[in-house]
Amino acid sequence: MSSVARDQVPEPGALRTFRLPPTVSDRLDTGLSLKVTSMPRLPLVSVLLVLDAGETTAPAGREGVAVLTGEALRGGTTLRDAEALAEALEGLGAHLGVGTGWDSTTLGLTCHADRLPEALALLAEVALSPAFDAGEVEQARDRRLATLQQRRMSPAGLADDVFAHAVFADSSPYARPLGGLAGGVAGLDAEGVRSWWAQRFSPATATLIGVGDVDPAEFTGLTREAFGAWADNGGGRTDPAPATRRADEPRVVIVDRPGAVQSELRMGGTGVPRSFEPTLPLKVFNGVLGGVFTSRLNLNLREKNGFTYGVRSRFGQRRGAGPFSIAAAVGADVTADAAREAHEELRRLMDGGPTADEVASVREFMAGVFPLQMETASRIASKLSEQVIYDLPDDYYATYRDRIRQVDLAAAWEAGREAVPLDHLVTLVVGDAESLAPRMVGLGLGAVEVIAEDEVPPFYG
Amino acid sequence: MRRVHIDFEQRELDNGLQVILAPDSTVPVVAVNLWYRVGSRNEVPGRTGFAHLFEHMMFQGSAHVPKNRHFELVERAGGSMNATTWFDRTNYFETVPSHQLDLALWLESDRMGWMVEAMTQEKLENQQSVVTEEKKQRYDNQPYGDWDERLQALLFPEDHPYHHTVIGSMEDIAAATLEDVSDFFQTFYVPNNCVLTVAGDIDPDHAFGRVRHYFGEIPRGDDIPPIPGQVNLPEVLGSTVRETVSTDVPLPRVYLAGRIPPYSDDRFYAAQVASVVLGRGRASRFYRGLVRGDRVAKDVGNFAFPLTAGASMFLARATGLPHVTPEDLERAMVREMEGLAEVTQAELDRARALLETQTLAALEEVADRADLLSMFAGLFDDPGRINRELERLQGVTREDLVRFAETFLGSDNRAVLTYIPEAE
Repeated sequence: MSSVARDQVPEPGALRTFRLPPTVSDRLDTGLSLKVTSMPRLPLVSVLLVLDAGETTAPAGREGVAVLTGEALRGGTTLRDAEALAEALEGLGAHLGVGTGWDSTTLGLTCHADRLPEALALLAEVALSPAFDAGEVEQARDRRLATLQQRRMSPAGLADDVFAHAVFADSSPYARPLGGLAGGVAGLDAEGVRSWWAQRFSPATATLIGVGDVDPAEFTGLTREAFGAWADNGGGRTDPAPATRRADEPRVVIVDRPGAVQSELRMGGTGVPRSFEPTLPLKVFNGVLGGVFTSRLNLNLREKNGFTYGVRSRFGQRRGAGPFSIAAAVGADVTADAAREAHEELRRLMDGGPTADEVASVREFMAGVFPLQMETASRIASKLSEQVIYDLPDDYYATYRDRIRQVDLAAAWEAGREAVPLDHLVTLVVGDAESLAPRMVGLGLGAVEVIAEDEVPPFYG
Repeated sequence: MRRVHIDFEQRELDNGLQVILAPDSTVPVVAVNLWYRVGSRNEVPGRTGFAHLFEHMMFQGSAHVPKNRHFELVERAGGSMNATTWFDRTNYFETVPSHQLDLALWLESDRMGWMVEAMTQEKLENQQSVVTEEKKQRYDNQPYGDWDERLQALLFPEDHPYHHTVIGSMEDIAAATLEDVSDFFQTFYVPNNCVLTVAGDIDPDHAFGRVRHYFGEIPRGDDIPPIPGQVNLPEVLGSTVRETVSTDVPLPRVYLAGRIPPYSDDRFYAAQVASVVLGRGRASRFYRGLVRGDRVAKDVGNFAFPLTAGASMFLARATGLPHVTPEDLERAMVREMEGLAEVTQAELDRARALLETQTLAALEEVADRADLLSMFAGLFDDPGRINRELERLQGVTREDLVRFAETFLGSDNRAVLTYIPEAE
């Protein structure tokens, strides 16, 4: 007979302490900041250069210039052309990663620790001595335009873009897609890329992060060799983008895709900036709503009703007030039901608050998975870059688990009530309007507007 | 260059469960990974997609774990979890703080031993609906979303296990019954068809004791039935076969695919290196030739699928720029693939360096280490391959690549699938 008490959840053993590997900060005379975390278990190093060069700094009429510049940086340097550059990087076993966001551009790579000196020198060459050859920039621009065209035909990409446009006023850059609109991107050229790069790439507003099998002093030395000649251009830190909402009234927008087998659903509005406090209680609130698998939204829309493969809610992380959104792909015939259930779950949570049990569960989840989010060199580098971009305190990660465990029901509920724009909700559906529109009208989510799919191009330019 | 060695021990329970223990206390977490040797290759006609639907049912509760409890308990313990289904296997995994090892073992053993008792028609219908929405979201409602279905049908005959996709057909998913669930469970979800890896902050003897405690009383199952259909087939297709689809896609795209030796064949190492030389990175042949040189493609890729049932698949993909004809795109792709026969030492060195970084990075996460150990044990009964794979990949020579290109990348082994934007 079984000796196993299968009816009982096993008791946990003794908790073992987790200590994040420490991060050492330093600064070169030129103003370039350094952050280094030694993690010598594997002979790998991840390097990330973080620049105050996001899309919010794109001048009017040149939207998309940050994203295009990121691509154009791969087009060669004053020392070697695009092909030689790719061969040099990949010959070191490294892929150059370029990330452009609203608030930053990041250039990064991961390589064998024995190859770090050469890799750092190449990274510096890419960032400081780009060629921005006219032909190369033109090629990069054509690929960007093709990407924009592709995005329009992906239901999820279209939904995200039109949702953003419905939520934010034209005075906010957040109303447009990050990479710009086709009309504007088509007008970008090498000169525009070069002048924006010259304004935004500066050591005084940049940080170089190194994580992995590297000693901090050695990393500083290598950085001085590779980046030491980089001169400050005198430009300061940029301001967060304005984030005014387009309309106060709740409303429903349907982008018509006749015959679509599934609808992309978005519901939300203007959220809060990354600097919002209390930030951790808000993360817990969002976890209960739609941030974890056992969230209220997912248990309802997926596990109870089978409307969707999965639903999530999130607050976009930006220095300005980014969007709050609930997102799901739902069955065409149950779209209105899914919208109604999502709205009711949101309203119920706002009105009645989470339960103590839900708050405890999410908080333990977030504290427990934190070490897993800090397991790889590139992931730690990415977390450190958030610290830089959003001005988080130096001990933010060191104290994260303790602080998240202190979040209680009242704090989480209060944060959610403050941050969720319940009275100004935008509901966006990409789907078959003929069958959807009549059923969306009755939900009390506001006036219903239908946009034909081929009427979206004016917005896309 | 410094190398890395992953320590592990391999043991077995009396019921046939293979257990791999890989201690590493860098971070106080433990990964539990169960690799069942069952996937879409084991499905019978009329039940395509069932292995994946079954994977969803494994999260619907078991005799001592009510619906949703599995998720709640793991999340509350501060862990992450998931499962995936592919052609040759279905894997289930949790990563939890190491003091919660028992929780993961209890949950996994309960569904290995006592899953069927908890099944209901309502749960089945709920997950049939969820899987249907998954298929729509990931395949039907995506541009080019049916490429794998079309290519597999071109490359593998109807009676071959790789003829149909992992997600399967909607009709078959809708036709599944509770009896199917029960039969599948009793046939494939038995300890003698599973590898269990425990990696991370553990003492191997203690962890093995806990595994025996939770899994030891689950009875061994019958021998696993052979893979249905005809696994063995000619090494190459014998000709070029084509399919052209005019549909709602933004840009033209061409897929070229061919049969290649299975993952278990030593020549598969050459296929992996070939995919890097041809399609990975900006100095790859496809990127230099198609994206930069000819300026015909927006993006490119090459993949060697690690499949084991008789044959596998090599795949090249290129998305054309708006003005480009599919014929030009295809011509350029063929030129690069056949050009592999003139591969240079510098190209080979680049591939070796990239594969070295990739192999190291694949060992960073405890969950990935556990999955690799399970995979090498599950597919080849040889978990030690985790420590030899890089050397084998780096041992591939120019001659090996030339032979691979000549044998497998020619016009006598080519499926061409072309997507053309529908005229508005």
